[in-house]
Amino acid sequence: MSLFMRNYKPNSLATVYNVKLWRLNSTTADSVMKKDDNEEEEFRVLDILKKKDRMQRRVVRRADIQPDRADRMALDQKWGNVWPGPKTFHPSSVPLPLRQGYVSKGQAPPGKKANAELMKIPNFLHLTPPVIKSQCEALKQFCTEWPSLLNSEEAIEKHYPVEIITSDYCHASPSIRNPLARVVTLRFKLSTLKLDKHSRDKFIRLVGERYDKETDLVTITADRCPVRVQNLDYVNYLLTACYHEAWNVEEWEKEKTEEDMEYYEWNNNASKKSLVNWFMRTKNEFKELSEDEYRSFDVSVIPNAEGYKDAVSSLMNDGESDETVRKYGDSVRKLLGLPEKKVV
Amino acid sequence: MLSRSWRHLARRYSQATTFRTNENSPAQHSEKQEGLFYTMKPELCKQLFSHGGFPKSFMQQTKTFTETAVMVRQPALDLISCIKASDLNQPAIRYVLYGEKGSGKSLTLAHVLHYAHEDGYLIVHVPWVSEWLRRVPRHKEMSNSQTNEGFVDLPLDAAAWLIHFKSQNQTLLKSENLKVSKEYVWSKREKTEAGSPLHTLVEHGINRVKYACDVVDVLIDEIKMLSSSKQCKTFVAIDGFNSFFYPLTRLSTPTKKTVKPDEVTLTTSFLKLTHNDWTNGVIVVTADQLAVPDDHQESFLPRYLLYKKGFDHLDPFVPIEVGRYNEKEFQSCVGYYRDRLWLRGPPEVETELKFTSACNPYRFMEQCAPL
Repeated sequence: MSLFMRNYKPNSLATVYNVKLWRLNSTTADSVMKKDDNEEEEFRVLDILKKKDRMQRRVVRRADIQPDRADRMALDQKWGNVWPGPKTFHPSSVPLPLRQGYVSKGQAPPGKKANAELMKIPNFLHLTPPVIKSQCEALKQFCTEWPSLLNSEEAIEKHYPVEIITSDYCHASPSIRNPLARVVTLRFKLSTLKLDKHSRDKFIRLVGERYDKETDLVTITADRCPVRVQNLDYVNYLLTACYHEAWNVEEWEKEKTEEDMEYYEWNNNASKKSLVNWFMRTKNEFKELSEDEYRSFDVSVIPNAEGYKDAVSSLMNDGESDETVRKYGDSVRKLLGLPEKKVV
Repeated sequence: MLSRSWRHLARRYSQATTFRTNENSPAQHSEKQEGLFYTMKPELCKQLFSHGGFPKSFMQQTKTFTETAVMVRQPALDLISCIKASDLNQPAIRYVLYGEKGSGKSLTLAHVLHYAHEDGYLIVHVPWVSEWLRRVPRHKEMSNSQTNEGFVDLPLDAAAWLIHFKSQNQTLLKSENLKVSKEYVWSKREKTEAGSPLHTLVEHGINRVKYACDVVDVLIDEIKMLSSSKQCKTFVAIDGFNSFFYPLTRLSTPTKKTVKPDEVTLTTSFLKLTHNDWTNGVIVVTADQLAVPDDHQESFLPRYLLYKKGFDHLDPFVPIEVGRYNEKEFQSCVGYYRDRLWLRGPPEVETELKFTSACNPYRFMEQCAPL
């Protein structure tokens, strides 16, 4: 009953109304109102931990802090001045709404501020196309004119067949040396060297896997000396040595057998021997030929032998495939006078 | 009820007409019969293939289907037409059948063998070379050759092959014009007179197993001579021929030394036979991936499987590829399997099987087995 009576105090109705209205606004304001209420309480509650005061504490915002730099950038500023060189990502300097990082499904990736993911990755913000263009313009005054006769790739290759590849490294560290700068690569086309059949084969065997058959390029890399000049000398020495060694004919090279041949020469092989033998049997001649006679035997007297020769050579040299086997079969059928295979 | 059985009959009839041919003589087979099955007579099968010649799985299938039906396929027709067109007075022509595993090389060989048998050829048929060189049962009979120093004999295998040879050429061996050209002395008391019929030589090899390998060697020389002198025409068929050129066999001497194929007397004999220094003969060999171990099965093409040595030995040869089923052959095979109740189920199964088996004959047969 007393509770009821208290609520009937003249200002109580207005108080209730006030509470509801404030609650819509903020909890802090609400607590203030409650405090007002409590003052009217008969018994005050001892608040040892000062919980209510703590909740009251407001986050104080400094009024003198500047807005973000990224927000204040002019639209027509020169980006090259803002980001002149390679640098770790900085959110206030980049006026882009970047986001990066892993999040679980349904969430947006974290924004650019205090984002370690964005700082970890290398960026190329200093290499925007207009910046590169202006830098090239600035460098132009130091360049000489391109020789007019070197107007095509072929001309360059013809006059400068040897290509030297090295790498330079820039550092922002106490040492300006980089051990990788000593590596020198020499590259040239094998066809530009003056080599005959034997020396070409020997050169290829000498350089081994440094020769690429597809592109005809020989690539020699040296990194064994501590300084680039030494490596350059060494690379040149290797090329010279290989070239002259390729032209030498050693005594033991005469012992080269058919298995050591770099390609299949039909005239020296068993295939020709068996063809000649077969031909002589069809003519009912039985005589033994010597190796040289087999080699010098003129196969043009055998009808269709040329096609057979080509087919065997391509089967051996180009590798065995459905195509080469089919070609071989066709040529043998022609040679033996058998009907051709029906194409289904 | 009546209409149903009528429909059933009609279906059986239509199937029967689409996948079978009544032309049972391989010599008469032509493009018209391509993709159709013909049936070999049981007594003929017994004569030609009782000691091997069909793959094992096919043997099982013939037992299941209670008939020996072989499909007439393009490679066999091609081979037969080549044999018909070739001049037998010229040196013997070598044919090499090659193709993927399970594509039917051995069955094509069997088909052509049937043709040769019908055409009156003397048949020299080696069912599976690996049986000699690569299969080592618990008691493999091996001995050092008496006549050739450093060579190894496989007397039991040679004798078994002589029996096979004898049963395949029963009728021809009875004829009188196959005679031994010179006298062979085996031991003090045993010799084969010059001019005695060829089958006495074969009999000697079978009865005196010790000399079987030498008999095979001599027999092959005699056959080459007889063929060249037009006493007979010879058909040589060797399955798994590339086994002769794989660097090693699985045989080993009592001193644990592994044996190379060239050190086996049978190898030298049959390599002599496949050389083209004789006439009046046809030589068909197969190059099979299954004849060599797994490490040399990367390609099924003949040059790879035969090695350089084998290629040089056979060159020039006619390569004949035995491929997968084409559309017509596949449908015919489906019809046959349905007829034999080997394949059942709705028609959609066929397209799926065609896809999963990739039209490989052996795989198709295997995949139909549980259906």
